[in-house]
Amino acid sequence: MSIAYHEPEALDAAVRLLAEIEGARCIAGGQTLVAMLNAGLVEPAALVSLARIPELGAISRAGDGSLRIGAMATHEAIAESPLVARVSPLIAGAAGAIAHPPIRSFGTIGGAVAHGDPNADYPAALVAADARVEIVGANGRRAVPAAEFFQDYLTTAVEPGEIVTAVLVPPPPAGVRGRFLKFTRVDGDYATVAVAALLGCEAGACKHIAVALGAVAPRPVRDRDAEKALIGRPPTDQAIAVLGETLAAACDPVDDVRGSAAYRRALVPILVGRAIKSLMQ
Amino acid sequence: MIEVELAVNGERETVSVDATQTLLDVLRTKLGLTGTKIGCNQGVCGSCTVLIDGKPARSCLVLAAGCRGRAITTIEGVGTADAPSPVQQAFIEAGAVQCGYCTPGMVLAAEALLRKTKRPSVPEIREALSGNLCRCSGYTKIVDAVKLASERAAP
Repeated sequence: MSIAYHEPEALDAAVRLLAEIEGARCIAGGQTLVAMLNAGLVEPAALVSLARIPELGAISRAGDGSLRIGAMATHEAIAESPLVARVSPLIAGAAGAIAHPPIRSFGTIGGAVAHGDPNADYPAALVAADARVEIVGANGRRAVPAAEFFQDYLTTAVEPGEIVTAVLVPPPPAGVRGRFLKFTRVDGDYATVAVAALLGCEAGACKHIAVALGAVAPRPVRDRDAEKALIGRPPTDQAIAVLGETLAAACDPVDDVRGSAAYRRALVPILVGRAIKSLMQ
Repeated sequence: MIEVELAVNGERETVSVDATQTLLDVLRTKLGLTGTKIGCNQGVCGSCTVLIDGKPARSCLVLAAGCRGRAITTIEGVGTADAPSPVQQAFIEAGAVQCGYCTPGMVLAAEALLRKTKRPSVPEIREALSGNLCRCSGYTKIVDAVKLASERAAP
């Protein structure tokens, strides 16, 4: 069967095509979708490429100081952007941790988040950063908090006919540092466990803390109550261990080639400890 | 079928492709450029590496229909048996070829690195080649070859 390929040059044209052709799919950098096509896992009725829509590729600073990363920004562009490094080293770190240089040169943040793979690197980083995902469809534009965007394994808040257009990252409060820590079997693999952490301390006490985990559940794992319990207290080894154990208990990992569920759960407190301690130095 | 003009190794050619046909498939079956190898067809092994606008790319993960206006370089555009490129010459001298199946991809990943970084460190070379698998596991000499090529190009 021959399927159609469209390369609209404006976002509204892309939205129209998705509305008109039932079963049409967007293609961004193709680094996951083409592999799925090659394996016969997806059979779209048509492909709508987002590659020729200039506004989708930009990385800029919005009026409220937040970072606006266009959906077609590549992992490489994000990892190497001085603006991203300044506003969110956590997101820059996650982008630079994805796969290998050739994948990072073509894979995009919009494609990655729209795919909704909980084993990928952005979901945990975006949840920890309180980022929002901007989505455009025939009914207009909306921005969904990352914690609500990632719903289940390969399932996101994107409805049929909608397109992920940008990721919006608020600047962390002054003095807050971020770290993306990825534990893999071999270089370039998906994470066995990933930890995205933000920490800001003042006079020896936690002022801001956010920790989200990747690759341990169908969606990123974060426990805001456990974080709140640390605010105003010094991040002692024991306090960090309690947070790590709480997060480990909230995980729902699978057994797979990258590690058993028990192994992943055992890694969580260790990696949470490493990530937070690295931010205290 | 979709008509698309491809610019491969400096030559323009219009080909008819299916929407889901990869650049790798088109290079090999429509343009007869079989130097680009098929390995996993899943973006894991790097044997199909080509350069697109100077960047190393998995040609198995790129749709040919999307390549209009982009400059593609395959191993055939790098050098010939009679006139190997400096990177290819260094691969020969360092003994960086065993079965040879990964070699075109390795050479193109190295070309991309050396265009960007004149004198890469060994960790930088290893990072640049990290997406290319050599199942003979001949990595040490491949890294040696890239180092040799960089030293000659930027003494």
